Amino acid sequence: MKSNLNRIEKGASGDALFRIFGNAADKLIIAVLLGSICLFVLYPIICIFWQSFVGETGLTLGAYTDVLKGYRTSLWNSLFTGVLTAFFCTVLSVAAALVISSSRGWVKLLLMGVILITMVSPPFVSSLAYIQLYGRRGWITYRLLNISWDPYNCWGVIWMQSISFVPLNALFLSGILTKIDAASIQAARDLGAGPKHILLDVVLPLMRPGILVTLLLTFVRSIADFGTPTIIGGRFNTLASDIYMQLVGYSNPAKAAAMNVILLVPTLLAFWAYRVMLQKSDKLTSGKGKQDTVNLKLLRCGIVGWIALILSMLFFVMMVLQYVCIFSLGFMKVTKGSYSFSLQYLQQLLKYDTATIWRSVIYALIVSFVGTFFSMLFAYYTERRNVPGRRFFDFLVMMPYMIPGTCFGIGYILAFNKEPMKLTGTALIVMACMLFKQLPTTTKLCSAALTQVPRTLEWSARDLGGGRMAVLRDVILPSMRPAFLSCFAHNFSSSMTTAGAIIFLINPGKKLLVFQLFDKVYLGEYPMASLLATLIIVIVLAVEGLVWLISWKEGKRRVS
Amino acid sequence: MKKIISLLLVLVMVVSVFAGCGSQTAPETTAAPTEAPATEAPVAETEAPTEAAPELSGTMKVVATSESYITLFDKFTAETGVKVELLSMSSGEVLSKLRAEGGTPSADLWFGGGIDAFMGAKEDGLLEQVNFEASEELDPTYKDAENYWFSKGLTIVGFLVNNTLASELELDIPASWADLLNEQYGGEIIMSNPAISGTNYGVVNCLLQTMGEEEGWKYFEALNENIAYYGRRGSDPMNKVIADEYAIGITYLDGTIDALLEQYDVTIVYPTDGIPYIPEGVAVFKGAENVDAAKYFVEWLYSNDENLALLAEIDKKPSVKVIKPTMEGIDLAYDTSILVDVDVALFGSQRSAILEQFEILMGDKAVEE
Repeated sequence: MKSNLNRIEKGASGDALFRIFGNAADKLIIAVLLGSICLFVLYPIICIFWQSFVGETGLTLGAYTDVLKGYRTSLWNSLFTGVLTAFFCTVLSVAAALVISSSRGWVKLLLMGVILITMVSPPFVSSLAYIQLYGRRGWITYRLLNISWDPYNCWGVIWMQSISFVPLNALFLSGILTKIDAASIQAARDLGAGPKHILLDVVLPLMRPGILVTLLLTFVRSIADFGTPTIIGGRFNTLASDIYMQLVGYSNPAKAAAMNVILLVPTLLAFWAYRVMLQKSDKLTSGKGKQDTVNLKLLRCGIVGWIALILSMLFFVMMVLQYVCIFSLGFMKVTKGSYSFSLQYLQQLLKYDTATIWRSVIYALIVSFVGTFFSMLFAYYTERRNVPGRRFFDFLVMMPYMIPGTCFGIGYILAFNKEPMKLTGTALIVMACMLFKQLPTTTKLCSAALTQVPRTLEWSARDLGGGRMAVLRDVILPSMRPAFLSCFAHNFSSSMTTAGAIIFLINPGKKLLVFQLFDKVYLGEYPMASLLATLIIVIVLAVEGLVWLISWKEGKRRVS
Repeated sequence: MKKIISLLLVLVMVVSVFAGCGSQTAPETTAAPTEAPATEAPVAETEAPTEAAPELSGTMKVVATSESYITLFDKFTAETGVKVELLSMSSGEVLSKLRAEGGTPSADLWFGGGIDAFMGAKEDGLLEQVNFEASEELDPTYKDAENYWFSKGLTIVGFLVNNTLASELELDIPASWADLLNEQYGGEIIMSNPAISGTNYGVVNCLLQTMGEEEGWKYFEALNENIAYYGRRGSDPMNKVIADEYAIGITYLDGTIDALLEQYDVTIVYPTDGIPYIPEGVAVFKGAENVDAAKYFVEWLYSNDENLALLAEIDKKPSVKVIKPTMEGIDLAYDTSILVDVDVALFGSQRSAILEQFEILMGDKAVEE
């Protein structure tokens, strides 16, 4: 940091031009940030709203009355699934987080490895693996345990959603655990508390705000998820799967839009609650503690510790099975009920249109770089600077998280199908849609990272004569490097795996891998779908690993 | 840390293997379209000097039901020099996208999918009229009277039965639509939601026409009792049956289904009390960027029996012969009299009413008071 300040000093004397233009650039950045949010988030959402009022004979509330009367069951199902998924998923996430953060050595490495791989979750394929493993004739349920049960119902959906949302949550919660002040655990121990009481009376209460945030975010994610109920819901419909059906089957965008607006009501409530919780959570865990391992022996924590261990082991075993299943399905051939190893599908894959693979990677890279810088700048301007209407923009940025992807994509077509803003059919619209769909998560990651940068550092840079741009260039951006990595990783893997939002935006000649995957699932070519999913996972891990490696080396060089 | 790094290195190596394999094939795939016109264009000129439209150029964007049609479009590229970009999309998706795009479609040609969607698109004014000489040779039943859409074949529908499950559950192999109502099949039949599957929409519309409205709806009410669930993807019935998940699937029947017999222990049933069908459409989007190329493609396809034969080979079914009865060199494996006798025009006009009632029947939507 010292060298940075030196640079600012030098900049103050030598680089006066930079300062003068710096202020103009500062204004320009604000304008670009807020302008593009209006254009790519607010405007498409307004278009969706507008669509929901357009009937055959002018403006009408017909779509709303139709949805409220006809699809009350689906709405109820959405809420029911959302609440239960949020509950089960949070329990599993807390268990997994406790186990991860209290383990050490190779166990921790292994668990983190599983979490990192399962963070890359290509859509639909997990549900297919679920049927393969736990279906009516599933490998585990029928062949191994010889029980016949029907997984195509609401419990299948709830269970599937619960385990597939765990990785991100567990990572978030274990992050909170490492921030818990080690001194408070030490103090409790000094006062004679056993491990059981430390867990129940110190650790869990400190996690409470984080747990609430997990509950709410999972709830929102669950009610916006259309893929799981579509594939394993059977006769069970949620509003999100109905939206998908309205778009893909009934071709009725107006009704889909109205359903979306209705679905926004519980989502907005959850988000309002989330904002309140998050502020509390920051206060509780803003302790100076920074430790890799929470000093807690779960085995000695009594029943609760055991439950946490068993649940997380259950989760890890299921995840490993699921991904092994995804990986292996691509190499299996069924002939009259018996499985054999086959490279047939791999050969098909290798004959694949490689342009699609490169296009997917390039799109994802562009989205990741632009998106990450966008989120960093946005986080800085909304957190640290008094930008007019920042609460409103902060809210706007969260909107794409609350809208099922398919509808967000339709909003983009509605918004950008006419001159002078005709973007349909271009690569730009696809990338913009990915970028803004992921912005909610990445801006939150950056805001969180920003809280670690003391304001005083910024002020001292200003006092030393650094302009606003200099502060941004020399203080804020360098100190957000850890956030850069997590944002980049999130952006990249989401860009490679988001299907819903871009199904309608993809055009002939501009195919992406995830679209191919969706298509294979749709056509029922499951082995190919599995191989494509594997390919996506490998690419994402490789690229993220590479970026991590580069930044790690860079960091090491700077330190030395 | 060292472990992580070595793990990453392994990953990088794996990817470079993938990339390596990729770059080996890359030149072939990218070179094909550019090389082909150069070598084969003269042939096209000598073959049909009067028909080749010299002003054709650029790229034709196609939305099709499958990517397997690429060989047909490759032939088109070789003969005309027009590059083709193909995207696989279901007809419901195409229609939604078209409606949202508000008259600025991002594709030129629509190839395949239930004819009902094409009829709906014509009603909405989203299609372009294509007049050409050979259109008079096409059976008027399966094309639009004003040439806004054409058919490329017929999807015929029957049952696929899983023999292992049938014997385990002691089920008889059903022979007819009437048989499916038998109690023994309760919860073992799977069909796709007719809103999403042109094939299953065809079943509903055809049976309603042959049985009559009242009897027909009674039939589906009763069938509903035996249906496990309505798949949200067209391929669900076939897939669930071959995966041993459900015993009976109501599915399209063609050469690809015949091919399943080698790999799976299944039985294909052509219902004895009538085989429902639905034509698959071809149309050009109005206001598209390369309307000329798309229009010429339609003419090119139907004017040359060789092209139609190639299409039949890709589709693994001979039903183009029904569409163009004058066509030579292909035999229809079945007599058209086994197909139900229905009015194709009703596929489009009845669509929304039927789907709405079916949505209520399935229990997806409550009855409005």
